[in-house]
Amino acid sequence: MAELVIKNLFKRYENSGKKKKTVNDFAVNDLSLDCKSGEFIALLGPSGCGKTTTLRMIAGLEDITGGDIHLGGRRVNDLHPKDRHIGLAFEDYALYPPLTVYDNIAFNLKAKGVEKGEIDKRVREIAPLMKVSELLSQMPVKLSGGQKQRVNIARAIIRRPDLLLMDEPLSHLDGKMRQAMRMEIKRLINDIKCTSVYVTHDQLEAMSLADRIAIMNFGVLQQFGTPMEVYDNPVNEFVASFIGEPPMNILETTIDEEDGEYFFTFADSNLRIHAPARYQNVLSKGFKVKMGVRPMDVLIGGIDSKGTPATVATFENLGDERRIGIRIGENLLMLITDDEIRYRMGDSLKLEVRGEKTHLFDIDTGNRIREK
Amino acid sequence: MAKIELINVTKRFGKVTALDNVSLHINDKEFFVLFGPAGAGKTTILNNIAGIQIPEEGIVKIGDKVVNQIDPANRNIAMVFENYALYPHLSVYDNMASPLRSPKFKRDEGYIKEKVNEVAKMMSIDHLMDRLPSQLSNGQRQRVALGRALVRTPNVFLMDEPLAHLDAKLRNQMRTELKAMQAEFETTSIYVTHDFMEAMSLGDRIAIIDNGEIIQVGTGDEIYYMPFNEFVAQLMGEPEINIIDGELHRDEEIFSVTLTQCNKTYELPKEDNVYEKLAAVSGDKIHVAFRPKDIIYSFEPVENYVEGTVFSYESIGNKAVLIVKVSDALLRMIAPNGLVVKLDSKVYIDFHISHIMFFKADTTEYICRYDEASILALIEEQAKEA
Repeated sequence: MAELVIKNLFKRYENSGKKKKTVNDFAVNDLSLDCKSGEFIALLGPSGCGKTTTLRMIAGLEDITGGDIHLGGRRVNDLHPKDRHIGLAFEDYALYPPLTVYDNIAFNLKAKGVEKGEIDKRVREIAPLMKVSELLSQMPVKLSGGQKQRVNIARAIIRRPDLLLMDEPLSHLDGKMRQAMRMEIKRLINDIKCTSVYVTHDQLEAMSLADRIAIMNFGVLQQFGTPMEVYDNPVNEFVASFIGEPPMNILETTIDEEDGEYFFTFADSNLRIHAPARYQNVLSKGFKVKMGVRPMDVLIGGIDSKGTPATVATFENLGDERRIGIRIGENLLMLITDDEIRYRMGDSLKLEVRGEKTHLFDIDTGNRIREK
Repeated sequence: MAKIELINVTKRFGKVTALDNVSLHINDKEFFVLFGPAGAGKTTILNNIAGIQIPEEGIVKIGDKVVNQIDPANRNIAMVFENYALYPHLSVYDNMASPLRSPKFKRDEGYIKEKVNEVAKMMSIDHLMDRLPSQLSNGQRQRVALGRALVRTPNVFLMDEPLAHLDAKLRNQMRTELKAMQAEFETTSIYVTHDFMEAMSLGDRIAIIDNGEIIQVGTGDEIYYMPFNEFVAQLMGEPEINIIDGELHRDEEIFSVTLTQCNKTYELPKEDNVYEKLAAVSGDKIHVAFRPKDIIYSFEPVENYVEGTVFSYESIGNKAVLIVKVSDALLRMIAPNGLVVKLDSKVYIDFHISHIMFFKADTTEYICRYDEASILALIEEQAKEA
């Protein structure tokens, strides 16, 4: 277990400068992160955002163009991967097919010349933790995807690494298995308390597993915070639309003023949303801005609601919940309800948007506009 | 436009029976979903309708015509696959016009223009006609692919997991878009998926397929509220339904059920239908099912609640799933996002008994649930509308 500190990390791939259109051609651009001892960090972003490159630099599998990586107070930039005390678990399990599960797990210790009794003790210790005790004498080919990934992680942690790195370990698994493994990983990490960095493009995995999430795009760190921080206070439109399912509604709006109060108005729609007082100092009449609101914060008004009349464009009954889409210009404003009413396309309802739950983003830069 | 019938269709691949005596009746203009796990036989059904495969036994009818011996090309069927396969070097207009320009359907350009524009308008892509596929968003590409399939007014529209290769976020968005377009289709459509949200959202009716057999056919509500068996109940819903062991007590006026793992007995509210069906169950063993939203929890002790420990707590987007361990049972329930929950800490739970579903302990078949009458009324109303 050790603290991981990344300072001003850069990565540029030679020869690829012309092809890649990342900011300044850097695959990773001025990344600084600190991961406390025992903390579980997720690197989250779309494919090509630099998250795996970052992971590979931490592991020592990739040269560092600029910046420093410290692990447990040690600068590891120039250390050989094997001297970094890092455990790795990647997407493809790469178990040794001719070896039993036991020998696969024991392999790294054997290679290091650890004494046989000690190896056995440690394999027997880790096997129940990863629920592979029954599988120790099996060959990898006999295992299911979830079992293989468990063996893979057992192999990574048996060396008691200072840091555990995982790169999309669940992306091979189908829906139900992935969910079950997600839960197991969470419990395992909770038990072994190993500092961990976990790469994923699935916001659900990041939200449910990580103590803190680092969201990247085009090689640049967008936001680093707890799951609820990035959910409740996204720093920009990218983060706002990446976190949460269904995603936040983000619509272009023009500000209107009436008796000193501000309202969000929308082209081709009679929807008017009262802007909360906290935005008083950043808004003005005619100001154009992007407004974000989560589908949970758009409500259906009752009979005497003063909400905006709207027409149902899409209605989806999903069993546990229902989702309704309302056309606002070219976009669909989505809302989620537990309401048992089965709406039909073209039905009318009253929309009540929780103005206090809205987010504002700059129309050009997409950055969050903070109230003053 | 046509109805479709499969009558006792059996399809074998060597020794493997992919479809086992499957009968289906799909109504004209219906949007029909084939739903089930991988390898269930969904795509095989689609292929047998398209004529890509021919069944060893049984009859496939399109309209009133038996098509077993008819070439795929002559069945007037349009297919949309997982990848949209647009021609990258052709504009949206030319992509959509391509089926009408093929030797088989060759039409004059005036007719083509009229038809393409009509469909483009319906799909809201009429402003994109000069663009190349690479200049379109994923959603627009999907519309073009569907539009291309629609220009020659097929009898039947077959879609095989058209959203499966998209990431979760885009898939949700595209599903909603497809739902918005659906109202405009006047074509009988069959849609294959393994995603329950797609099945629920899009299907006028859904057929649940498993192991080459049809388990249940019904509207989304019917299947969600009155699943044929535990397998179906577990397929419909995210997080998955909780099914636990119970023991019935029917010796007195008021029935009760003991939830074995919770070691607690609950009185069952009197409802004639439920009592009649439960009275007919042989033996005392029964399976009791609760949707995750029908279990409530408290982190403070509450009288009469069942004590358990937190097994996991995780966000699933706009809400979270709390999994509580009670003896050897893991119970899933819905919780708000952003709670600070310590794993293995104590938690106390209770059940909405009036939302309970019962299944047979031996065959796992559905027995009954509370408030069945209003669900049946809803289903009947939906059937009338269709």
